[in-house]
Amino acid sequence: MSAYLSRFASSFVMPALYSTGPDITLSKLYKLIEESCPQLANSVQIRIKLMAEGELKDMEQFFDDLSDSFSGTEPEVHKTSVVGLFLRHMILAYSKLSFSQVFKLYTALQQYFQNGEKKTVEDADMELASREEGERKMEKEELDVSIREEEVSCSGPLSQKQAEFFLSQQASLLKNDETKALTPASLQKELNNLLKFNPDFAEAHYLSYLNNLRVQDVFSSTHSLLHYFDRLILTGAESKSNGEEGYGRSLRYAALNLAALHCRFGHYQQAELALQEAIRIAQESNDHVCLQHCLSWLYVLGQKRSDSYVLLEHSVKKAVHFGLPYLASLGIQSLVQQRAFAGKTANKLMDALKDSDLLHWKHSLSELIDISIAQKTAIWRLYGRSTMALQQAQMLLSMNSLESVNAGVQQNNTESFAVALCHLAELHAEQGCFAAASEVLKHLKERFPPNSQHAQLWMLCDQKIQFDRAMNDGKYHLADSLVTGITALNSIEGVYRKAVVLQAQNQMSEAHKLLQKLLIHCQRTRHTEMVISVLLSVAELYWRSSSPTIALPVLLQALALSKEYRLQHLASETVLNLAFAQLILGIPEQALSLLHMAIEPILADGAVLDKGRAMFLVAKCQVASAASCEPLKKAEALEAAIENLNEAKNYFAKVDCKEQIRDVVYFQARLYHTLGKTQERNRCAMLFRQLHQDLPFHGVPLINLL
Amino acid sequence: MAASSSIVSVAATASSVPVLPSSCDFSNLREIKKQLLLIAGLTRERGLLHSSKWSAELAFSLPALPLSELQPPPPITEEDAQDMDAYTLAKAYFDVKEYDRAAHFLHGCNSKKAYFLYMYSRYLSGEKKKDDETVDSLGPLEKGQVKNEALRELRVELSKKHQARELDGFGLYLYGVVLRKLDLVKEAIDVFVEATHVLPLHWGAWLELCNLITDKEMLKFLSLPDTWMKEFFLAHIYTELQLIEEALQKYQNLIDVGFSKSSYIVSQIAVAYHNIRDIDKALSIFNELRKQDPYRIENMDTFSNLLYVRSMKSELSYLAHNLCEIDKYRVETCCVIGNYYSLRSQHEKAALYFQRALKLNPRYLGAWTLMGHEYMEMKNTSAAIQAYRHAIEVNKRDYRAWYGLGQTYEILKMPFYCLYYYRRAHQLRPNDSRMLVALGECYEKLNQLVEAKKCYWRAYAVGDVEKMALVKLAKLHEQLTESEQAAQCYIKYIQDIYSCGEIVEHLEESTAFRYLAQYYFKCKLWDEASACAQKCCAFNDVQDPD
Repeated sequence: MSAYLSRFASSFVMPALYSTGPDITLSKLYKLIEESCPQLANSVQIRIKLMAEGELKDMEQFFDDLSDSFSGTEPEVHKTSVVGLFLRHMILAYSKLSFSQVFKLYTALQQYFQNGEKKTVEDADMELASREEGERKMEKEELDVSIREEEVSCSGPLSQKQAEFFLSQQASLLKNDETKALTPASLQKELNNLLKFNPDFAEAHYLSYLNNLRVQDVFSSTHSLLHYFDRLILTGAESKSNGEEGYGRSLRYAALNLAALHCRFGHYQQAELALQEAIRIAQESNDHVCLQHCLSWLYVLGQKRSDSYVLLEHSVKKAVHFGLPYLASLGIQSLVQQRAFAGKTANKLMDALKDSDLLHWKHSLSELIDISIAQKTAIWRLYGRSTMALQQAQMLLSMNSLESVNAGVQQNNTESFAVALCHLAELHAEQGCFAAASEVLKHLKERFPPNSQHAQLWMLCDQKIQFDRAMNDGKYHLADSLVTGITALNSIEGVYRKAVVLQAQNQMSEAHKLLQKLLIHCQRTRHTEMVISVLLSVAELYWRSSSPTIALPVLLQALALSKEYRLQHLASETVLNLAFAQLILGIPEQALSLLHMAIEPILADGAVLDKGRAMFLVAKCQVASAASCEPLKKAEALEAAIENLNEAKNYFAKVDCKEQIRDVVYFQARLYHTLGKTQERNRCAMLFRQLHQDLPFHGVPLINLL
Repeated sequence: MAASSSIVSVAATASSVPVLPSSCDFSNLREIKKQLLLIAGLTRERGLLHSSKWSAELAFSLPALPLSELQPPPPITEEDAQDMDAYTLAKAYFDVKEYDRAAHFLHGCNSKKAYFLYMYSRYLSGEKKKDDETVDSLGPLEKGQVKNEALRELRVELSKKHQARELDGFGLYLYGVVLRKLDLVKEAIDVFVEATHVLPLHWGAWLELCNLITDKEMLKFLSLPDTWMKEFFLAHIYTELQLIEEALQKYQNLIDVGFSKSSYIVSQIAVAYHNIRDIDKALSIFNELRKQDPYRIENMDTFSNLLYVRSMKSELSYLAHNLCEIDKYRVETCCVIGNYYSLRSQHEKAALYFQRALKLNPRYLGAWTLMGHEYMEMKNTSAAIQAYRHAIEVNKRDYRAWYGLGQTYEILKMPFYCLYYYRRAHQLRPNDSRMLVALGECYEKLNQLVEAKKCYWRAYAVGDVEKMALVKLAKLHEQLTESEQAAQCYIKYIQDIYSCGEIVEHLEESTAFRYLAQYYFKCKLWDEASACAQKCCAFNDVQDPD
């Protein structure tokens, strides 16, 4: 009976173990059996002990018994059952072994058993061992240390299945959750080990390529990639099923992968050459699927060109035709992105995304679903709808990935998550919730360690937020020091920020020069968002140097652009600037009516700073337009202005804009003075004095600041 | 006499202070001969057959000693006497390759000689078992995992002895070998250096050191004993590191001091000439060597390569038959036969023989590369890629394999892809024009003409072997309508050809003259133009200039 039970246990548990991972230790095996099938545990232990401590014939007996279990009128195991199949598999493999191999198997079993025993004994021994013995042990260990290290590095033989499992597990971790995978160094060590034992194991080279990508090692990753394909070509040629076709196919994909590699490292020219090669070979052999992939890459490489969307349209059409849903919807997504920058209406874009979403859900392409949501977040932000953006970002984060249902691996290492989280951080920072923003950034840092692929996204985001805070705070030197970091990650953004700092430091001519250069560059590359921002900065420059009339056409140009591209956030900021210009030019009534148009979106979606600025401006305009009114009405208008100023002050306080608060307080004091409210006036004046002492004065007349 | 007895004392007592038996100069050849004979005996007693062979060969090349100067056998110590019986029995077992048996009877012996033989037989037994087990392993992934089980134990024991400074020169050598087999390269180098200090005469230790040193920098930082053996070592390692000029210089010195008859040195010189592609010299030296030592098999694969390059069919066939008669199951023999079939364009058979060579010695990397070439000839690109990859795995510095891979991908019309391989080959042989020309051609195919120009120019600058770089450069200039530079290149090309005076077919000569004629015509230099045009007429393929 016990023999049967132990047999059953080993056959029942073994497949579960062997198919899922590398060898586990004996104690773990016992534990597992105990958990799943306690009544068997003891007999398994006895059986293994018997075999390991007995003789070779005990093992032979075991296999003989095993084959008996199929015979008889009522066999213990059905031949076609899962367990039966496994057992038959085992018996077959065993009977194929030569004499010396059988012996080897037996010694391997013995060793396995002894290692397991030793461990349990060692644990118990540790306490019992006398001091003397301990010392002697130490001596011995010292000698063995280096040997042990190498022992650890080649931690036992892996079977083909186990090695494959190891590779696929690590690869999927790299893709989905890098932090859980082995560290690059230790993974490389494992791989080297694997390759040392079996250089023909080509897949290991591919994983080594992926691993090298993690640490941005161009040299080794190229080496591994090419090595992988050299090996693959070989296996492709050997398997006669696809014959010449399989061989040529891997050649094409080899070139394509090389292109991807160069693209990843930013060697665009090299990537293009490799891609051309892939295209040529694919064309020669009429491989449409490969050509489709090439086409998509061609778009990625040619993104800077204005006519690249033509390629993309072709790509989408063809991909649909050849039944490649992944490529098709990836194409649609790229197209949406491209169109969004080109100023297409939101409803069309959202429609397109919705259609492609249908495709994703149908084919359960969870990766693309994530991208789609992240893209929606980005698009809403582009249009200046922060609430919608916030909602989409939250949706992505709280959504359960499809993968988690079946594999238990949450996809949270992808670019879409990084993008969504970055947007979230920026959105929070805009609303003055800096603690929340830094919390998000901290999380990003953990999830995407600094050397990982998408780390640059949060680095840039982090620096931008710091920059904005420094600017609000009036710490221009600090902001200036951040510019270098930003430039390293995004040169255009860096130049823009540099100009902003220069402007704040009153170095007008330098700022102007920089801005003009930037404007030309951005107009050429069709970077509309940046063009508008630059135009706004230029306009600010003009009125700060007391020539608001020149600023007007610039502002109108910015307004036209932002309306055309439906960039609401920038549009309302432009309106704010326009109103201010009008105020300076002495037409406050016009300014006020203009402001009424813009104030609604700003209060709804704008950043806290913008809200403050808008309210401040409204107050200014109210005061200015009330100047000519009769005293009663004037007093009323001033009261309203004071209310607005209070609101503005609150907004500014949220983002620590001390300078603006100082201005607001100054203004309030003046208004209270006019209204004859001495007590309030004195309070405001005192506040102003406190703030004024803390802050350096930049020599720009107060009235000339928005 | 004093010097030679000191070796014995070193070998016998392994005192911690190394006593150098020899100085760096070669003035006393008799002394050297005595030392060589002594070490040949010592190594033979310990079963170190290759070192013994080397020393004996070298000793043979020096003039014979008169009876009065002949060496008495080294004195027998008390310990030796005790272990004499066990040693004699064990040595007999050892000689018939019953290593375990030998080790069993040597267990517990105290004399240095017996101890070494004891450890050495254990090591060899482990190696033999490893080789046997590779045949029937449990699974494909386990194939590479078979290792010499004895190594670990040997290392532990030897390191204990090493720390107690109880190892003699031979013991250190064995310790180094064990360390190397365990991939502990740094430690191994240290131990081998120590071994050369303690026992400089043992060539095996030097040779192991040669295999571990990968570049010139490493060599610089070694503190080697100052003996005449160092000269042999340096010459050998310079050859390995492709520093051919230095190596030839060293060998010439050795010949000058009196080793002119040594077949070892002669063969090394021939290999060196082969490495720098001085084919004629290498061939004549090899022919000489074969006359001196007709039954030599070592280095004959190199000789056959030379014959192959020169397409000397009959000589190659003679060599192949001759070697086949001597010993047909030697790696070199298989290689020579492979080359022979390859020259006769029987590529399947050639590949078969290279495969056989690899079966005899899987680490013989030359065969992998040659097999790759054969597969290339058979248009079996995938097999060629595999063979080249194997060659690279055995030795990453095998530039021919990298070059071959590049060629394979070039044939597959992937010029960008093969750039990487050519670049690797170029890195390994920065001054070899063939890689540069190949790189240039690839760049040309990719339409990267600036890079292509650089490559061709560099290929010309490092001394173009095939004399094609300049023509290609000129054509590029022509394409880019840089007529001035194009003309310059053509002029240089023609000068080159006439100055080297070789009567080799130069198809491009006519093109050069034709272009120059047109160029001078455009520049209104009528005399030069007509001179060139007349030269041009001498060629058949440009009878119709426009």
